[in-house]
Amino acid sequence: MKSLRPFLATYGTALAGLCVVLVFAVLSPVFLKPANLAIILRETAFLGILSLGFTLALTTAELDLSIADVASLAAVVTGALVHGGFGAPAAVAAGLTIGLVCGLANGAVVTRLAMPSLIATLGVAAIAKGLGFMITQGVAFVGRWPTSFTGLARGSLFGLSNLVWWLIAVGFAAWVLLGWTRTGAHLRATGEAEEAARLAGVRTGRMKRLGLAACGLAAGLTGVLLASSLSSAAPNMAGDHFLYAIAAVLLGMTMFEPGRPNVAGTIVAAFSLKALGNGLVLVGAAYYVQDIVLGGVIIASVALSAGALGRAAFVEKLSFRRP
Amino acid sequence: MTAAVTPFLSLSSVTKSYGAVEALKGIDLDVHEGEVLALVGDNGAGKSSLVKILAGAHPPSAGEIRLRGEAVRFASPGDALAKGIATIYQDLAVAPRLSITENIFLGSELTRGPFGLPVPRLLDKAGMAREAKALLSRLSVNVAHPDTPVERLSGGQRQAVALSRALRWDARMIIMDEPTAALGVQETRMVLDLIRRLHDEGRTVVLISHNMADVCAVSTRVAVLKGGRKVIDRTTDGIDADRLGHMVMTGRDH
Ligand SMILES: Nc1ncnc2c1ncn2[C@@H]1O[C@H](COP(=O)(O)OP(=O)(O)O)[C@@H](O)[C@H]1O
Ligand SMILES: [Mg+2]
Repeated sequence: MKSLRPFLATYGTALAGLCVVLVFAVLSPVFLKPANLAIILRETAFLGILSLGFTLALTTAELDLSIADVASLAAVVTGALVHGGFGAPAAVAAGLTIGLVCGLANGAVVTRLAMPSLIATLGVAAIAKGLGFMITQGVAFVGRWPTSFTGLARGSLFGLSNLVWWLIAVGFAAWVLLGWTRTGAHLRATGEAEEAARLAGVRTGRMKRLGLAACGLAAGLTGVLLASSLSSAAPNMAGDHFLYAIAAVLLGMTMFEPGRPNVAGTIVAAFSLKALGNGLVLVGAAYYVQDIVLGGVIIASVALSAGALGRAAFVEKLSFRRP
Repeated sequence: MTAAVTPFLSLSSVTKSYGAVEALKGIDLDVHEGEVLALVGDNGAGKSSLVKILAGAHPPSAGEIRLRGEAVRFASPGDALAKGIATIYQDLAVAPRLSITENIFLGSELTRGPFGLPVPRLLDKAGMAREAKALLSRLSVNVAHPDTPVERLSGGQRQAVALSRALRWDARMIIMDEPTAALGVQETRMVLDLIRRLHDEGRTVVLISHNMADVCAVSTRVAVLKGGRKVIDRTTDGIDADRLGHMVMTGRDH
């Protein structure tokens, strides 16, 4: 029993995710069918990429509440360009640039104006949202877009959707960055012990700007892929992913490296949440049940790991306790 | 002293204000190579402020710092480290949630190319763990696995971890702010031994302490601060803890 504890603390919620899959596999004959798994994986890809960005920002103990609005804005800008006859490379570059610029703006406000990210990124979120509606004038861009653009998300390679490959690529990059580079060590040190890190010579302001910029870039990529996948772009199209992404990162922090935002945790959590949502639909739950369950997961994942997560750097920051 | 030996570090007319609070009111202080200089004084005397200036964590409000005779400006702690000055802060000596290895290599992580290639530079985790162990055993400190978070270590072990980081930089001068403040008898003795060992290696140590017995035990010179000024600066020859305590209280050397 005693030796089981550390194991459960590290892998408990990942196992819970596995149980979810098993339960739905029993309850629904469709759940484990390849076609359905492919749907779950595609959904996991959008959520995973968005959440990985959030993971990088949160590693430096900064929140980015603008991810969904930035992703939507990137989708809209990309969609507008494709719709207007621009080539895919230009449109994609524009979408990624929008994400990056929003991330840099977040970083600049947080570090140069010394503003809490909770507030700074809400401001940028509102601006991004407004711009999205301004560009589309409230309607969606829909069309028969060239496959050079739609193929980004809809194509497949070795039997796996391109979306899954995008997730693998972003996940691998984030994993190498966080776990195996000096920059990653500095990002983590900035989040875990900002002042001690600064005194040890770590450029903590730069690390926060980097984390938030990477988060913005990931949101931009998510937006581009959403537009590519759906052949349309509408303001607020990534809105539904917002709570999911927060939940995925928090749930991910309960596994593998308890208390720390981590790449593997985020990806497993994103998959678990999407499997859960998909399973609920398959067994006939009403659409709103998903949201209710999601809220439960957010609260439960923080409560379950109160020890590790309660002491996480950003939670300490949010509790407005003076050190 | 006759024909002046250039001091390792020399402060002249250094002041520091925090808004209306004048923490340092014009400090002149020389730190010579190889000495153990104790900075003592009541709470609020300005010791930590002085340390932060020496460490490059805060800029002085006015005054000059010379390193081996050359005027320097430390814009960041990294600058001071690069010049061979490492500081172990009172409250921020270590990052509690990071591991022993992560703490020792914080800001100076080792990297290596994979499979013997020159790039990409990836963290050399095995190498860092090995060196962390070696550094700590050189200080005769036995700690658990180098992956252990520092928050699980005792106060003395934490000081040793912080000191290992300073040694990693091969610092010529090591500043320790209240290294024994939270320690028991046994651990205090261990930290004092560490300081003696640094002295034997020819390193310069600046020690801030409230404990006069500790100061007398290891330091070669003592500077007393009072109300942001240096009021006494002398060798520790022939003074004991009681006398030193009296000097701190009165600010007079007799
Ligand atoms: N960051 C700060 N902001 C404002 N006042 C400070 C700050 N740091 C120190 N002080 C003030 O400066 C004076 C000297 O403090 P300090 O250098 O910490 O002294 P010591 O370490 O000798 O106790 C005190 O009056 C203290 O309240
Ligand atoms: Mg102090």
